[in-house]
Amino acid sequence: MNRRDLLKTALAGTALGAFGPAFRADAATGILWMTWENLAKDDYLAPFLAANDIALTKTFIGTDDEQFAKLRAGGADSVDLITPGLDKVEYYTASDLLQPIDFARVPNAAKLYDTFKQTPLGKVDGQTYGIPFYWGINPIVYRADLMEAEPDWSVFFEGDAYNGKLAMRDYALEGIMIAAMYLGIPESEMFTMDDRQLAEVKKVLKIQKSKLRTYWNSIGDLTNLFATGEVVCAFSWVPPYYELRAKGIDMGMAKPKQGVIGWCDTIAVPKGVEGARLDAAFALVDYLLGPDYGKMLAVGGPYAQSTSAARDHLTEEQQDKIFIKDLSVMDSFVWKQNPPRYGDWVALWNEVKAS
Amino acid sequence: MRPQSAGTWLALPVVAALGALCLAPLAILFAYSFFSVDFVTISHDPSLKNYARILQSETYRGLIARAFGSGLLVAAITAVIGYPVAWFLAKRAGAAKTMLLTLLLVPLYSGDLLRIFAWRVLLGAEGAINRSLIWLGAIDAPLQGLLFSPLATHIALTYNYLPFMVIGLWLAFESLDDAWLEAAADLGAPGRDRFRRVTLPLTAPGLIAGGLMVFVMVVGDYLTPQLLGGASGVTVISAINDLFGTAFDWPLGSAIAWTMLAILMLCFGAGAVLIRRSSLVAEGA
Repeated sequence: MNRRDLLKTALAGTALGAFGPAFRADAATGILWMTWENLAKDDYLAPFLAANDIALTKTFIGTDDEQFAKLRAGGADSVDLITPGLDKVEYYTASDLLQPIDFARVPNAAKLYDTFKQTPLGKVDGQTYGIPFYWGINPIVYRADLMEAEPDWSVFFEGDAYNGKLAMRDYALEGIMIAAMYLGIPESEMFTMDDRQLAEVKKVLKIQKSKLRTYWNSIGDLTNLFATGEVVCAFSWVPPYYELRAKGIDMGMAKPKQGVIGWCDTIAVPKGVEGARLDAAFALVDYLLGPDYGKMLAVGGPYAQSTSAARDHLTEEQQDKIFIKDLSVMDSFVWKQNPPRYGDWVALWNEVKAS
Repeated sequence: MRPQSAGTWLALPVVAALGALCLAPLAILFAYSFFSVDFVTISHDPSLKNYARILQSETYRGLIARAFGSGLLVAAITAVIGYPVAWFLAKRAGAAKTMLLTLLLVPLYSGDLLRIFAWRVLLGAEGAINRSLIWLGAIDAPLQGLLFSPLATHIALTYNYLPFMVIGLWLAFESLDDAWLEAAADLGAPGRDRFRRVTLPLTAPGLIAGGLMVFVMVVGDYLTPQLLGGASGVTVISAINDLFGTAFDWPLGSAIAWTMLAILMLCFGAGAVLIRRSSLVAEGA
């Protein structure tokens, strides 16, 4: 090979290298999924992307509200899939931002647990706009080495043994739900509380505030507070329990008898998505409800899918970890809903914090 | 085309971009502050309802007052600490001046979160201060009030914004001609009078400019109170955040934001008048 041939070969190789990805991207259908970072790990999605000619772009959200604000502010045109909470789908449907789920294109939806098939949340006139995707509970997590007994919700309202060692999530919906459960207000009335009930809630929340070390905003921050012993007990998410146990700290997780807050996120398709992008979006929805993804989510999360697709592929220990070993546990859950007077709830929450 | 006219035309795109990027969002926010919301539907019928709600709400009035109170307190503390530091940098540091100024700015390169977590390490129950006090025998149990308290918030705010006060004051001291002080001394003015009648008036523009800068940044800071203030760390900014995000009450959030902006503009106006007056005093001197 002479010098001219060598240069030609090098140039051709460079050109192919530069344009190769562009050609591939043109061939694939590109879709954008707005979701939580922990749901869209590369290894979770690798089998789907390998089997389909789809180019997936992920954009991550920090809160459900942020996701709604982005879509409401005009971002719906560029997004093909979103991940709203089951209680928040109502916001999107009221704003006319979503299209109904076409169940014919999502065969794995047939395996939804009965709770999710029957829930009225995420539906309008019998049509599903947000299909339940994954779920879990928000329990009390505590330092078992620093507490004498397993706590329940009363630890945040009574006694002074743990004053200044407790933490509560800075979130009006859950904070007020917990106070309502402590006061014995039934689930049927919880989300439509009248002024008298809200006044009672406010009174006990002020007592709660006097016992708190802090309100937490990020789960990583709460994990640090547990690890350093600044906080011994908190209304929490599940991850600090497993993370700190893995580091040798004796952690406990309590599911109070007064009720446990259950949460569920859905997957929904914005209204303007159509054609090949819609096909690709529904293919991804079906994969997310299927066994491969469900198993990886259960092991890596650990979170439970809303379908039974992966259940038989998991060990009993893995099932127990994500609360699907005994599904009757769902009966004690209080699922989050969107209160009609949510503006008043937020105002009350701010009044308590500012008191 | 005259050079002056060419300059105007060249500046026009920049001014237009500034108008679009800075003023237009504020104008939209202002318009929203007169609207109302019903669930997720924003009604565009204008009214003063949101401003009335702010006036009637003890919570929002209290949070606004607390924000401005914090701003004033931290501006005052940074002025007391920053004044001698700036004097030393301008008049005594000599060849070490550049190095000391760089050192002063180094913490700003580390980012807000890092500085906040550094304070947690220092002030926490298992932190360096508590451990040292226990080791010295000064206390038996960790002082819980050091962290997650208004004290922790204001210590961190002072630390975060002190450089901005020092820079403003340092510039004022740099332009202070020592001949004025020598003349005052020659005329028999004692040290206290030289400070009160010469140094302070001539450095007042720097003091006011630095103070305004610190004040504005403290009023707008919600991360530090949230992460160090504990259960009492709520701020008017976090309340606005709740209204825009969680409650979808953009109109009320906009009204609170504009109330804050209006008060800040009044403060800036007062500051500008004070700077002008002190400049006139300096010119007169």
